[in-house]
Parts: sequence; structure tokens; C-alpha cells
Amino acid sequence: MEAPPVTVLPVSGGTINMMEYLLQGSVLDQSLESLLHRLRGLCDNMEPDTFVDHEMVFLLKGQQGSPFILRARHSLDRPNAPWHLRYLGQPEVGDKSRHALVRNCVDVAVSHNLTEFLSEMGFRMDHEFVAKGHIFRKGALKVVVCKLYRLLLPGNTESTENLSLSNLVELSMLAPAGQDTVSDDMRNFAEQLKPLVHLEKIDPKRLM
Amino acid sequence: MLLTFLFFPIFKWLQCVTVPVAEGKSVQQTVEMLNKKLEQLGAVKQGNFYVDCETYHAGAPAIANSGQSQKFLYVMHNSEAPLSCFALFENGPCLVADPNFDVLMVKLKSYFQNAKGNKVESRGARYQYCDFLVKLGTITMGSSARGISVEVEYCPCIVANDSWNLMMEFMQSFLSSHVPGAPAVFGVKPDGIYSPSDTMVQYLELFNKVRKQQATPSTGMR
Amino acid sequence: MQQREEKQLETSIDALITRVAHLKASLQSFIIKLETEYDRLTWPSVLDNFALLSGQLNTINKLLRNEKTPAFRNQVIIPLLLSQDRDEELAKLTEQRVPVFSHEIVPDYLRTKPDPEVEEQEKQLNTEAARMGTDVAQKQIQALNKLCTNLLEKLNNPREDRESENAAIRQNKPTFNPADTNALVAAVVFGKGLSNRRPQGSGGSVPPGQTVGGAGPMLSGGPTLQQVTMPGAPNQQVAMGPQVPNQPGQPGKMPSSIKTNIKSASMHPYPR
Repeated sequence: MEAPPVTVLPVSGGTINMMEYLLQGSVLDQSLESLLHRLRGLCDNMEPDTFVDHEMVFLLKGQQGSPFILRARHSLDRPNAPWHLRYLGQPEVGDKSRHALVRNCVDVAVSHNLTEFLSEMGFRMDHEFVAKGHIFRKGALKVVVCKLYRLLLPGNTESTENLSLSNLVELSMLAPAGQDTVSDDMRNFAEQLKPLVHLEKIDPKRLM
Repeated sequence: MLLTFLFFPIFKWLQCVTVPVAEGKSVQQTVEMLNKKLEQLGAVKQGNFYVDCETYHAGAPAIANSGQSQKFLYVMHNSEAPLSCFALFENGPCLVADPNFDVLMVKLKSYFQNAKGNKVESRGARYQYCDFLVKLGTITMGSSARGISVEVEYCPCIVANDSWNLMMEFMQSFLSSHVPGAPAVFGVKPDGIYSPSDTMVQYLELFNKVRKQQATPSTGMR
Repeated sequence: MQQREEKQLETSIDALITRVAHLKASLQSFIIKLETEYDRLTWPSVLDNFALLSGQLNTINKLLRNEKTPAFRNQVIIPLLLSQDRDEELAKLTEQRVPVFSHEIVPDYLRTKPDPEVEEQEKQLNTEAARMGTDVAQKQIQALNKLCTNLLEKLNNPREDRESENAAIRQNKPTFNPADTNALVAAVVFGKGLSNRRPQGSGGSVPPGQTVGGAGPMLSGGPTLQQVTMPGAPNQQVAMGPQVPNQPGQPGKMPSSIKTNIKSASMHPYPR
């Protein structure tokens, strides 16, 4: 994501864990304008930021069954911004009453030689895409509305193709582990976007 | 005890030189001596500095690509850039990241093991003398002092070629006979613009030399 | 008797002055807020300001309607002395709005009748109303009343009644497609439909039920996140690249809602 991580914490052996709370939905192209209008009214009053990002997902195969996944993202319209590396853990299960998807999240801002470095570490790129859209903020809440594009040629961000006629809408917040009021706040905000968009907790395992 | 010197001309270029110490002097005393010399020259002490380096190696042989020997990943920190973290491979790319990278390494611990015994640090005083920054540090591995690092930085210039001679002269003034020749990295990009990763590469070289010295027992010199 | 009336008049005027002062203060602060903080304002806070103003106007109305308030229109104000000089007392009383009690301000501030144009219009409306027959008038009154009561009912009734109506209205214009949501989320999380290294096939129809079952993300021969499906051409409707998304629970159903720009199966971006 083009926006830098919300907090940069001092490291102390991984005892500080940031969790990402996430709600996702989508909106059809023809209703995109109304959604943007509504978001402009609801969110903090700043110029809504547009972004064009290229994200690459890298895998490290290990002895365990599932590979380690890292996501590298860089901005195509702000080439001087640092690259962004993100690790997302498995979504926390169990608490059905929690309204948002919760997973461990580590965000690192890095220099531009990330891909070279990752391949030196043993990572291999699995897939990539281009995301283009708008980002809104309300306090610590972040709303992203974007369109996903597939790259026709690997590594070539010029020739891209639309993935669908809908835009992905994501509502997310980073908070230290254990703050469950966060998901309530998110749900209240999501209520205000109905019926334009139905934001919900989508379990990725269901889609596999 | 062998004395090891690092020199960083121009905003940090370093060279690794091992020089025998004068008879009867310990590491601490040599550092004291150098500190005094700098102060006599007119340098002003501006706090302390530290540079450290941790070693990670790929956990399982399966990870090493196609049967190569195990790679070592080094994660270094520099007090001069407190909000950064440097990750590098020897003769490989150097990644500059923010401190969260350490958290990421914790997450990767089943793939990259931290060889805690190999952590090398250099700590000491930071002096400013006009346009020069001199950092004199004691290199320690575990709890034993292994050598001395001297880092000289000429702040106004960022191109290597232009100020090597000036730096040499300055170094001679307080290091007398121990001034080394041009650093090896010098040849790699003589007209290149300096970046903090270059410093860390040099420190890594130095620290690795120090680590290798661990194998050889003391030669009887103190 | 006289004194009591006078006293009543005074108290009611004082009350009115304080209420109007409150209203003025809140208007002022609202204007300042709009002028200086316009980029940080949120709609709920603007609504709050309007609510405040309307509340204050309401109290003023209630005050005027109060039985203790004497009819102000029975009072007459006659200017006794006009002068071009600045009157400090007056200026202080009116907060510098009326510094001079002169011939210019008297017609505006002591006006009791509306403007001549307005008077004309009022006369016209009155003659028209008189011209209209009583039953026509009655009918119009009834229609207006009915509309108002309908609206009030709608506003006062519980939400559920309304929502069912709304849902019925909105049926024709869906704004999002859940299948698309799933596809996009899958693309972002595992790269479904994105991987560049999938071998693609073409020609022949795809039997949608033939998928490699199981949930493991690992394939033999390579670390990828996607499940393999029998390579095949996209069906008539779908053209989401050459990839057929998995639907393990619905073997007979093809994803029909994902449309892309590629229309023909022959335009393969990937080598075979």
C-alpha cells in the first residue's frame, strides 16, 4: 500500500504484535461514483488520495507444508516512495462474534532493491497484480477502493488487463493485539456504507 | 591482541587493516590513547555510537538454492541511522529497511536461524573535528573485546574519488604510521554516490575478519 | 395595571434580547467554523450546528407565543429626535451596529409595513384566494393535510416498514455483486486468476466439475497457491482469462458474473 504503515514500533523480540482488522466487499463500476461521494462525506476531510500500486507476492518454500508468504508493494505513480513489505499471518479463528477478520501483520518500509534481496533470500514470486484506486481515512480506519488488473506479461506493468467489472473495497485498521472494540467501530462504519456495499468478514479458506 | 582498523574516507569508506599493537598495551588503553590524541587535536566529543551485526543462516538445507552452500544473512544496525535496519548478504544486495524488519526476522525464525553467539558489536565515542566525524569503537564479540574500529567520515563530500587524499592526511595526523591504503570498495565505484549501505558493507567486511580471528588463538601479543 | 403591563413588556423584551443574542452567537461561530475549518468539517457536525440553530429559533417562537408576552404589535415606536451626530449611548447599546440615529436608518429599523412591491404581491394573493370558491379551497386544504399526515406517519413509524419498501425499490439497481467480491478477494489473497505461470489450454468446453479437490495450496512440482483445474477454454459466458475459478461446492455451476474485456478464447496472453 502506498500509505506508510500506521505505526512503527520499537522491536522487542516480537512481543509487540500488530493485528490487522479487515472487512471486504466490492462495488460495481457503475455505482463507484456514489460510493466515492459517500466516502468523501463520511471520512476525514482531506483530498482523497489516488494510487497506482504494483504488488508482487513472494513465497518461500520450507520444510513445513505451507510456504511463507511475503507481499512486496511499490507505487507506480510515486516512484520515489519506499517499497513496502508486508507479512500477513493466518486469520485468527474462534471468536465468531468478532465482526472483522483479524490477522497478525508486520509492515516494513524498504529500499528499492527488494526483489533482488528477496530472491537472494530464496523467495520466488508467485503472482503479481496492479491495483489502482482511492484511499480514504477516518481516524485510524483506512478505506481502500481499488480496481485490480492482471499483468499480461510478467513484470511488465504497462500491459494490464481488468480483472472484473467490480472494484474491491477494503476497510482495515491496525491495532495492537487484544483490542476488540476495533471490530465494533469497523462494523458501525460498514453499516453506513450499506446498501451500496456490503462489507463483511470473508474467510479466505472458503474461497480456495 | 591485534588491532584492527577501519577507515571510512568520504562519508564512510572503510578499510580493514590489522596492525600489531605496541608492546604492553591493552585494547582499552589503546582506545584511550587514541581518544586523547583526538582531543589534543581539537576534536569535540559528541556522544557515543554503536554498530552491531547479527548473523542468520538458512535453517534447512532445502532452502539453500539448488545445493549451494548455506547463505548467511546479516542484519545490522547503526546508531547514525537509528530508524533504519540494514540487511545484507556478503557480496550481495543490501536492503535498507525500517526497524520492523527485526520483527519480520522473528516471524521468519523457522527459515532463518539467528546465530546468537556470532553477534558482533562496535561501541565507542563519537568525535567531531571541523568537517570530519571520527568514531573510535571497541569491537566486541560476546563479552570479549576483539579489536578497535576507527571510522572517519568526511561530511561535505559524497564522491569517493575526490577526497581520499584529504582523508589520508587527516588520518595520518592522529594515527601516525597506521594509515592504510585505499579501501577495496573504492575500486568498485570510484565515482559513485555514497549511500549508508556502503558503510554497512564495510563494517560487515571488518566484522567478518574479526570473526575469523576467533579461530586463531592469540599469538602472544597483548 | 399600567405598571404591571410595563413590567411584563420589559421582561419579555429582555428575554427576547437574550435569546436573539444566543442565536447570533451560534450563527457567528457557525460562520467562523465554515470559513476557517471547511476542509476538516464533517457532515454530522454541520448537521449539529443546524440543529442548534433550529432549536434556538424554536425557543424564540415559543417565547413569542407565550401568553405572558404582550402583543408587541400594540406597541408603537415614534422617533422623537433625529440627529446626524454620533450617539455613543446608542452605539454601545447596539454593539456599534447603529452609531447614528439619523434619517437613513429610521425607515429601515422602524418599518412596520412591508415594501410596496411586497404589499402589491400580498394584495394579489389575497384577491386570488378570495376569488377561489370555498369548496375548491377546502379540497386543497384537505389534500395538503393528507400529504403532511402521510409524511409524518412515514417518519414516525418504525424502520422495518420502511426498509422493506426500500428493498423493493432498490431491487432493480444492484450496486455490488457478491460473486465479484469473492473473486476479487481470492485474487488478492491467493492470486486466483493472476498467476502468470499457469499452463493454459484452449478449444473444447470445460467440464466444470473436473477440479482437483482438496484444500492444500501446494502442488507437486512448484510452490504455487492455486488449485489446478483441467485446462480448458473459457465457456461461452465467462472469459476471465483462460483460468477457470474453482467452485468445489458447486460442481455444476459456472461463474457467470465475471466478465472481462477479452471476448474470444483465441486471444490468449499466455503461451500454451
